[in-house]
Amino acid sequence: MSASGIDVTTLDDAIRRWAAERHLPDAHLRRWLALANDDRAALLEVAETLRLRTGQFVAAFDLIEEIALRQRGTAASLQVTIAAILARREIRRILDGTGSAPGRARELIDTLRALRFPRLKRTIERLAAEIASLGLPRGVKVVLPRELSSDEVRIEISAGGGTELARLIDSVAQARAGLERIADLVGGAESIDDEV
Amino acid sequence: MKFELDAINIEDGVRASALARRVIGAAPRDVMVSYVADGRQAARPLEGATDAFGGGKRRMVIMRRRAPFLMACPAGSAEFACCGYLVLTLASNCPMDCGYCFLQEYLADNPGFQVYANYADAFDELERLRRKAPARGLRVGTGELADSLAFDSLTGISRDLVEYFAGRDDLTLELKTKTDEIENLVAIDPKGRTLVSWTLSPERVYRSTEHRTAAPAARIEAARRVLAAGYRVAFHLDPIIAYAGAERDYLELIDQLFEAIAPERIAFISMGGLRMTSALRAIARRRFPDDPMLVGEEVLGPDGRYRTFTPLRLKLYAALSDRIRKSNAKPQTYLCMESASVHRQVFGEAAAPPTVVGARLAGD
Repeated sequence: MSASGIDVTTLDDAIRRWAAERHLPDAHLRRWLALANDDRAALLEVAETLRLRTGQFVAAFDLIEEIALRQRGTAASLQVTIAAILARREIRRILDGTGSAPGRARELIDTLRALRFPRLKRTIERLAAEIASLGLPRGVKVVLPRELSSDEVRIEISAGGGTELARLIDSVAQARAGLERIADLVGGAESIDDEV
Repeated sequence: MKFELDAINIEDGVRASALARRVIGAAPRDVMVSYVADGRQAARPLEGATDAFGGGKRRMVIMRRRAPFLMACPAGSAEFACCGYLVLTLASNCPMDCGYCFLQEYLADNPGFQVYANYADAFDELERLRRKAPARGLRVGTGELADSLAFDSLTGISRDLVEYFAGRDDLTLELKTKTDEIENLVAIDPKGRTLVSWTLSPERVYRSTEHRTAAPAARIEAARRVLAAGYRVAFHLDPIIAYAGAERDYLELIDQLFEAIAPERIAFISMGGLRMTSALRAIARRRFPDDPMLVGEEVLGPDGRYRTFTPLRLKLYAALSDRIRKSNAKPQTYLCMESASVHRQVFGEAAAPPTVVGARLAGD
């Protein structure tokens, strides 16, 4: 019996069945079956409860393993397991939630990404708040590089007619200081926690 | 430090070479020496090996180099603000095993640790270059596809190199290393034409990722010794890995360095963030699945490489650059494999052209 109360053979059969139905690549199935019992069971619960698609499962599995490794690296004495990560409150809330399974599956991936990239998430939220505070009119959009992968900030203006364009350009000019600040933030001008 | 070898393969055509004789004479008796018709075949991955790249590091192949020795730095590109570095490929692969090393991808098809017996031909190439471009200030390094000093106790190549460069005022040799294998160096006078540079990382990166390298303190101590022997020294904070606590650790490392070596005696310090192609990342994680340094907050950038997301990476550069600038002597600093725009953001000024940077770093 596993710690979660499921017979190990039954658990592995269930995993193999799920993997076969979803055409899970062999490499991932082998990794899954090589996990500790509790981790295997926790992952199966997620896969079944949220009816994960194969791509979602692979992404989630990779993210969870990376989160565990990162957290073990932060505190070497901690034994961070996949089951422990999936038992966290923010993940349980998704698993026990009442929304549609596809919606909750997407939320799971987003939540795992936030745990995997904590400083990136905080920086993106910070920039989003700065952009919102500028109060730019509809028709002016500040476009940040995807996942802040470069230092390029783009400002898009969509206007119908000269008057509208002039008005939007004026609003960009009025927001100049704030926009410069956002570009500087993308360029690392402000403090990001040195710790996770 | 001493590295271990399982075997030495010597290409028939270079059996009588000075390099082959030196290596056989200096190698431990229990290392198997064999002769092969074509070293290129001997450098191929061993079939069925679980870690062919790692295995290649323990198999030295002494052979003739068929391609030119001298080339522009392979990391150079129009999309980056570069440093005008020229590369002499005298060996390929390295007995150390850093988890982030690009050679894991670059040499996947020929991982055998090749050392080229006809390396003196490189001097002819350098002479041709000097005649063609009689300008001062060329910086030529041997540490791109290999560590410049690993196994130097066996090969002794550094002695010939340092002596060649000692007689040429228009060239600077850069020996780039993570070892403390400097015994050959301290016995020769470089006449100011050789610069020895160390890649430096905080203790945490060294322990987690830089397998079989000398400890950071040992690298700094080796630098202090070659400096006393008449060499110039430089340091590469590269790759900078943005783990939690990295800024504090890298700043401490700079402080430790400046305590051991006065900043005014350091020729330059380069910085470069961890960068990995998708293929390299996959190989590195497969070879070192438990290394947390390989699962940082890297995202796919416009050049197809994973790097730490930009604000964090640039903030680290700025903090380190600031600390270096605050030292009295302000050693020259440059960024490796970063765009002109990033250079401007970090240093507050446009990057100079590579030839100008190269000449400055060469000390001319």
